[in-house]
Amino acid sequence: MTHPEALIEIKDIHKSFGKFNVLNGIDLTVRKGEAVCIIGPSGSGKSTILRCMNGLMPIDRGTIRVGQHQVHSLKTEKAMRPLRHQVAMVFQQYNLFPHKTALENVMMAPIQVLGHDRAEVEDRARKLLDKVRLGHKADSYPGQLSGGQQQRVAIARALAMQPDVILFDEVTAALDPETVKDVLFNIRELVEEGLTCVLVTHEMGFAREVSHHVCFTDHGKIVEDAPPAEFFANPRDPRTREFLGQVL
Amino acid sequence: MMTAQLSYDAKKKSVLFLLAAAVVVWIIVDAATGGDEHWARVGVRLPLLLTGSGDGWPVTGGFILNVLLSIASMAVATALGTIMGIATLAQRAVIRLPAFLVMNFLRNSPWLVLLFAMLYIIPYEIRVFGMVIPFPPFMKAVIGLALPTAANFSEVIRGAVQSIHSGQWEAARSLGYSTRQIYMHVILPQAFRRMIPGWMNLYALLMIATALATVTGIQDVLTILNTSLAMESERALVYFYLTVLFMFFAYCYPIAVFARRLERAVKGDNI
Ligand SMILES: Nc1ncnc2c1ncn2[C@@H]1O[C@H](COP(=O)(O)OP(=O)(O)O)[C@@H](O)[C@H]1O
Ligand SMILES: [Mg+2]
Repeated sequence: MTHPEALIEIKDIHKSFGKFNVLNGIDLTVRKGEAVCIIGPSGSGKSTILRCMNGLMPIDRGTIRVGQHQVHSLKTEKAMRPLRHQVAMVFQQYNLFPHKTALENVMMAPIQVLGHDRAEVEDRARKLLDKVRLGHKADSYPGQLSGGQQQRVAIARALAMQPDVILFDEVTAALDPETVKDVLFNIRELVEEGLTCVLVTHEMGFAREVSHHVCFTDHGKIVEDAPPAEFFANPRDPRTREFLGQVL
Repeated sequence: MMTAQLSYDAKKKSVLFLLAAAVVVWIIVDAATGGDEHWARVGVRLPLLLTGSGDGWPVTGGFILNVLLSIASMAVATALGTIMGIATLAQRAVIRLPAFLVMNFLRNSPWLVLLFAMLYIIPYEIRVFGMVIPFPPFMKAVIGLALPTAANFSEVIRGAVQSIHSGQWEAARSLGYSTRQIYMHVILPQAFRRMIPGWMNLYALLMIATALATVTGIQDVLTILNTSLAMESERALVYFYLTVLFMFFAYCYPIAVFARRLERAVKGDNI
């Protein structure tokens, strides 16, 4: 079964750290414009799946295709770079560059990595900061921003690369409850604009409303993959049922 | 009761103050009981100790030579240590492992032994294409002191680079930066701030170690003490040595204090 419009195709990937098998045969397809949520217990390999998608982590077995890139066959950091121009990532700990202002954080990579024109990038960066409603914080350093604000700058930084996909790894997990909704608001906007997103999240309500399908991971396998209505109303796998029973 | 309520800093300050006061009192008492005559000798010979000339000009050695030696060595050590530090961080083992070996060898060698070794390993002059490049003792001292300092500095660099959170690497890699660009734009600018205190501490240590360079025969302050001032009375020499000790202290202590203050400031902005 092939999806001509599938942007990301993951087939039977395996990954182990020493004797410990983190991923035991993951299959996942993400079509263009879809939002896919990955939920599951801590340590079940969610972050590892995302890291494999943009080549931050090499896999042991299986195939990953993102756009025209065969990720599993890219062997060097250098070969990974065109892939990473297309796939942006937002992290739980924001990972902004603390020695640069918010605006510089957003502008750096498009100029230094993509070689875009500075004036054009600054224009784009300011628009993106406005979009995440932080235009007035352009000259603040990350240390002067709240967690939620830093995370929104990180989203603007990812968007500045004009990627085809953004991977979000528990981006609200480190935030205060009040600021979570600001960040989710920005992500929801992106999904509605048709940007392809893969989200690892513990925000069940958000997953239910925003995603096109939801995956449940347990011990390095995707044990359930269904549209949200079905996933939350009639989970088929007992492990999904148990997990949802605990968190809902 | 009172001291129990003082903060650690206040206690430290009062102890230091008492020590300084004790030294001043001792000097005054000693001067009143005949020491003043020896201090007078020190005063007369002070220009010699500082500059290597009895009149204080021209500068041919003395404490100022120690300062020049420390600055020259530090310059060489900074350049060498940066190269060595980057080499020990290299991904390729053929670069990293030899760099590690050299660094650890130099870090664990007694400085005095290295100085002696330079004295015998480096020739008096080198002939390249008919040109004769002389290697005076001063150059040998510079190199001999720079080698262990460079090795220690490379460790400072390594420590600073490795103290940068791994999330910075991940974020930069995910933005498509190359390894070289990550060092240039992300890691080194942050690591640089964290290196400065270690670099300054190292300089203070190096300055102290310049006294060892007397074995190369340069006219540093210790050589002058041992030769030109040998005819002073044995009693007076005690005062001369005290004076030299104080010179080193007065030069190095403020640097160490400033480094410590910077260190505390830098710690504040860790993430
Ligand atoms: N670089 C690594 N080295 C060794 N073990 C790792 C590494 N990264 C992740 N793991 C382990 O793999 C497992 C899955 O990690 P992760 O994908 O981060 O899980 P999740 O994001 O679902 O909580 C965890 O048990 C973790 O300890
Ligand atoms: Mg995780």
